[in-house]
Amino acid sequence: MELRVDDCDVEVPDGCSVLDATRLTAAAVPTLCHDDRVGSAGVCRACLVVADGAVVAACTTPATAGMEVRTDDPDVAAQVRLVLELTAERLPATALDRPSELTALCERFGIGPTAFGGARGLGRDESHPYFALDRDLCIACGRCVQMCDEVQGTFALTLAGRGADTVVAPGGGAWLDSACVSCGGCVDSCPTGALAERTTATATTTTRTTCGYCGVGCSLDVHVADDDVVSITPARDGPVNRGHACVKGRFAHGFVRSAERLTTPLVRRDGELRPASWPEALEHVARELGRIRSAYGPDAIAAISSARATNEENYLMQKLVRTVIGTNNVDNCSRICHAPSAAGLTAAFGLSGGTNPADDIERADLFLLAGTNATEAHPVVGARIKQQVLRGARLVVVDPRRTELAALADLHLQVRPGSNVAVFNGLARLLLEDGTADQDFMAARSEGLEELRVVLAGYPPERVEEISGVPAGLLREAARLYGTSDLPAIYYGLGVTEHAHGTDGVRTLSNLAILRGAVGTPSGGGVNPLRGQNNVQGASDMGALPDLLPGYQRVLDDDARRRVGDVWGATLPERPGLRIPDMFTGALDGRVRALYVMGEDIAQTDPNSSHVRAAIEACELVVSQEIFLSETARLADVVLPAASYLEKDGTFVNFDRRFQRVRPALTPPDGARTDFEILLEVAEALGGDLGVSTPAQAMAECAEVAPLYAGISHERLDREGALPWPCRSADDPGEARLYATAFATPSGRARLAAVDWLPPGEQPDSEYPYVLITGRRLAHYNSGTMTRRTPNRDLVGHELLDLHPDDLARLGLRDGDETEVTSRRGSVVVRVHATDALVPGEAFIAFHFPDVAANLLTSEVVDAATSCPEYKVTAVNIRPAI
Amino acid sequence: MATVDARSPVEELLIRGGTLPVAAAHGARTYFADERVPRGERHVRVCTGTGCFAATGGRHVVDAEAALGVGIDRCAADGSVSLQSARCLGYCYASPAALDDDAPLAGATLLEQLVHRSERVDPPVPVAAVGPPVVLRGILGREPAWQVWPTVLTRTDGADHVLREVGIAGLRGRGGAGFATARKWAAVARTDDHGPRFVVANGDEGDPGSFADRMLMERDPGRVLEGLALAGLACGATAGYVYVRSEYPRAFATMHRAVDAARAAGHLGTDIHGSGLDFDVEVVSGHGSYVAGEETSLLRSIAGLRGTVRVRPPYPTRHGLLGRPTAVNNVETLAAVPAILADGGAAYARLGRGEETGTLVVCLNARFAKPGAYEVELGTPLRVLVEEVGGGLDGGATLRALQVGGPLGGFLAPSRLDLPLLDSSLSEAGVALGHGSLVAIDDGVSRDDLLRHLWQFGADESCGACTPCREGTRRGAADPVAVAADDALLDLMTDASLCAFGRRLPAAIRSLTAVPSWS
Repeated sequence: MELRVDDCDVEVPDGCSVLDATRLTAAAVPTLCHDDRVGSAGVCRACLVVADGAVVAACTTPATAGMEVRTDDPDVAAQVRLVLELTAERLPATALDRPSELTALCERFGIGPTAFGGARGLGRDESHPYFALDRDLCIACGRCVQMCDEVQGTFALTLAGRGADTVVAPGGGAWLDSACVSCGGCVDSCPTGALAERTTATATTTTRTTCGYCGVGCSLDVHVADDDVVSITPARDGPVNRGHACVKGRFAHGFVRSAERLTTPLVRRDGELRPASWPEALEHVARELGRIRSAYGPDAIAAISSARATNEENYLMQKLVRTVIGTNNVDNCSRICHAPSAAGLTAAFGLSGGTNPADDIERADLFLLAGTNATEAHPVVGARIKQQVLRGARLVVVDPRRTELAALADLHLQVRPGSNVAVFNGLARLLLEDGTADQDFMAARSEGLEELRVVLAGYPPERVEEISGVPAGLLREAARLYGTSDLPAIYYGLGVTEHAHGTDGVRTLSNLAILRGAVGTPSGGGVNPLRGQNNVQGASDMGALPDLLPGYQRVLDDDARRRVGDVWGATLPERPGLRIPDMFTGALDGRVRALYVMGEDIAQTDPNSSHVRAAIEACELVVSQEIFLSETARLADVVLPAASYLEKDGTFVNFDRRFQRVRPALTPPDGARTDFEILLEVAEALGGDLGVSTPAQAMAECAEVAPLYAGISHERLDREGALPWPCRSADDPGEARLYATAFATPSGRARLAAVDWLPPGEQPDSEYPYVLITGRRLAHYNSGTMTRRTPNRDLVGHELLDLHPDDLARLGLRDGDETEVTSRRGSVVVRVHATDALVPGEAFIAFHFPDVAANLLTSEVVDAATSCPEYKVTAVNIRPAI
Repeated sequence: MATVDARSPVEELLIRGGTLPVAAAHGARTYFADERVPRGERHVRVCTGTGCFAATGGRHVVDAEAALGVGIDRCAADGSVSLQSARCLGYCYASPAALDDDAPLAGATLLEQLVHRSERVDPPVPVAAVGPPVVLRGILGREPAWQVWPTVLTRTDGADHVLREVGIAGLRGRGGAGFATARKWAAVARTDDHGPRFVVANGDEGDPGSFADRMLMERDPGRVLEGLALAGLACGATAGYVYVRSEYPRAFATMHRAVDAARAAGHLGTDIHGSGLDFDVEVVSGHGSYVAGEETSLLRSIAGLRGTVRVRPPYPTRHGLLGRPTAVNNVETLAAVPAILADGGAAYARLGRGEETGTLVVCLNARFAKPGAYEVELGTPLRVLVEEVGGGLDGGATLRALQVGGPLGGFLAPSRLDLPLLDSSLSEAGVALGHGSLVAIDDGVSRDDLLRHLWQFGADESCGACTPCREGTRRGAADPVAVAADDALLDLMTDASLCAFGRRLPAAIRSLTAVPSWS
């Protein structure tokens, strides 16, 4: 519609406000309570304008066709000034001490310190480690409450009191004791500094980069002074986070200037790690790798690349291993998280990634969430899903635990760990029985239905109930919801993949979308894995895999190998290399003599830690490229001090296949080097030449060898912003939503999988009667090397074992008592936390803290197809600690 | 670009069946007066409404503090007694008044009653109809409630029939806003999604000076419920709520009993009278807030949230209780509906004048010679109400100002009694009809006292959502006379406040300063 603002014609879509319309002109209508991330409350009344002759608040007045808006009426300007004076006179002049939206408006309207009143003496809340509330500065605009409700969905805040006494409160107690999840949305939005971070320094530079925690891919602005982080704020135009972040990305940056950062290489001499110069360390690495390669051949060397490092570094690592060392023994930690996704999604649809962009979350009218605790492990995506559910989308959650989203769900299918395949098969059978399967789609775009029908005959709801514990009626209702929604979307996590039959889980889950025609169609929300680490998608995309070259070109494909080898000027090894678990067994049986580990803490994060440690001990050379002296680094022969994501140049690929730029906001500490630099130097020390000298060059070369990323370059990302792959040419916008016309399988059809449920690798018995599930918690990340070195420790300082109150009673335990948890492989001592989020007989623990080394317990059972460990099912015994 | 449609995720959470978040519950607790004032074993609420203020100049409050040995809005140190100010208990015809726990006391012997030195007096509302009664039909013994409902349900076009007749009647909201009732119901009925819709009876009769709704809820609750059920039918709602302010404990109890009785008689519940229609009603209590009478505030209060107002549009007909389409109607409006359907809309439309059809129950305070509630035709001259119906002032006192329509209505000088009881005419004179209360002011209070009383009311009851009202009433309470002359501030409140409270208060203040001073 068209309207006029100060004699200027503007055009806005329906549903826009007068404020939106004014923003298309030079008019700068003042606002205090407005934030584009939330709805307009229209309470501050600073945005008064004249619309069709009436004084209105621009933010809450709908623009109408032909409306005449004036923002320059002097009488209204005087009223706005009065609004600001009325606001200012309640606040102490200290409100002017720190720049804010309020101070900017005061300056614009010439309102100085004399217009301010005194402190009201309402006091401060200093309980939170990252920010404080100064109640005297609160103007009761409610933006913080709206951010908490409308963006984060935690409902931790409220305005309290009435009339002129109104002030924000985190419920009745201290902030730290509230429901707050420390996402920082309130602090980010506060227009007066009533809620403000504790930092007092003023930033001199700001760098746009991508978060180094989890696979969501939040765009962040890093504000820096004196080569240290002042604060990190979410980018309002971040394509995935849209101005939101979580406690990790926004606040947990203190580790980067920790005194524990590694700043000098360490080389083991006489059994002890001792400081060495870079030339000494590099010479040692090169000499030993050379010796081992000469003595045992290149396949005696194996490398683990890093899902936390950039694409360019991963690209360099696999190129180093393949060309300079001459083996395909390179893998990355997607092996132990989402390898079943890569295998399963490729088999079902053709490409190794989620099918739909995050933008589709707001289109979905039903979510099927399986094995994902998104609000803790992927908080920003979790928040977006939660908001869409609050807006009215239906929610079905398949999870052994009553997670935050399970508690909100229409249906919670509280499955026994290890029963996913039976549940998904049961749902598939019901879709066919109910007639909600899409016959046309199946006929035109899928294959394998007949074989599937044969298998599904064995999964009537009653049998699924026996296997999974999910009541048959609930399963029927879930099938009905998924079957009858208009745009159903599947999101899943490690609760699907980290099983002995994780790939089968991904395949049978994908079946549901195929049967429903809900993938590769306009009404399909697809099948979307929530990837664990910041660049676990990218590490695999770059070919840090033993059987795949960059862009998922198969090592066994002679043409692909030759094509890539031609660009690299090398002949590539023909035989696929070892997967991570095979590297460990190889080390123990003498096939592997050297292990090169970049940015992974395998001694803490990989299953059956005793076994991993033994493998490390067995190697003649273990190199650890790290930012801290991790559990793995302690055991290594050479430790090379590396850089963090805040100090790096490159790109990450997030869970929805988006390439996003990573830019250095800080310089690495003296003595530390980026992984990119280190790999170049190692190659050089080995007499090799990796052919590129900058991350931009590495990306350009990757684009040359991998058709999927042919259109990706740093220059283009800097110019256009994020780009999804496939992106096949410089003018290809990338394919955010996959398979619109055909699937990428050889037949072009989506492949249904006819697979039976098989029991998990670990079974409880009388000696180990409990099933232990491992996973993550909100405040910490993975092995905790980063988050434990930040004030996140004040939020969650130690690990607890979650256990049902009935089990506590049975064991004679009280909440908080120490217990000893023992599996067939090891034991840990941990305090217990009573929660009915689990059913009796099941327990949950995270692996963030080395003093509660959860992976001493987990088993070496792996997914049959991909060797992904069965982290989600461990039989344990629990007893009071002595 | 953001759309102007604000969401309320906490309401979205609640309608999904989620529990009220701890913080939201805290926000509500700290908002409502009933929760803010500490409670002793004995809890006395003393009326500080305009009727009682006009009767004693506020002396009864000071006396109550002294008699009970506890300050206003305080609890005695030993916890034996607490004293809360309540802005109108609906006993303006027998001022001053108090609630001793839930027992009403009123009259000149209030102090003695409070210290048990006098019989408790709980005078009934003197009530009469000047013409043929419509709303008061049940109370005056002409026609019991629930006569229309069973017959309407036998019609296949029941909902349309109700909408049509109420439309023909020209019935408008009696709560003060005067919106056409049939249009409101049609807006809810038109909603095209399949989720729940609600109808709500607004029994938050907050205007000091009004007691008509209390009387209706206490003495003919079935008529209110029947009107609500008819509204529910017209709107396609299956659930209704009656929101009764906490200052009316007896009305709350009688409404409760009336719902039980209606269920027992088969007027409410499932498959009502074999029609296949389901409709049931819940009675909920307020917690002490004048602004809760504003519909967005009232709906948030029912949901257990803070009773602050939110911007409209969206109107409750689209985004109401828990975000669902909702029709909110004043108790008196609903009480008129059974008679409209009994007689036909045209009969009702013949009453009143022009577009302002029908009758209004006018409340006269104790300074009149004949205080009480009177159903009169709209258009009746104020002079008739003051001099004939009210019999002039008690004891021959001199009328100095006449407050019309409560604190947001305004004051008229005695020279202006020739105005008719019509919102259109009164608006032109700078006051608003409101809920139809008339409070006579005589020499017992001064104009400046009244200004102070009004500003304090504003500051105490402002919900605090928007800057002009929150800060304007604060300034007004601090310096009542000077701020009453601050045109810039009064204009800002009028132009830019979020709801009628802040927008109307300046006009009421100005109307009072326009009355010649009498002391």
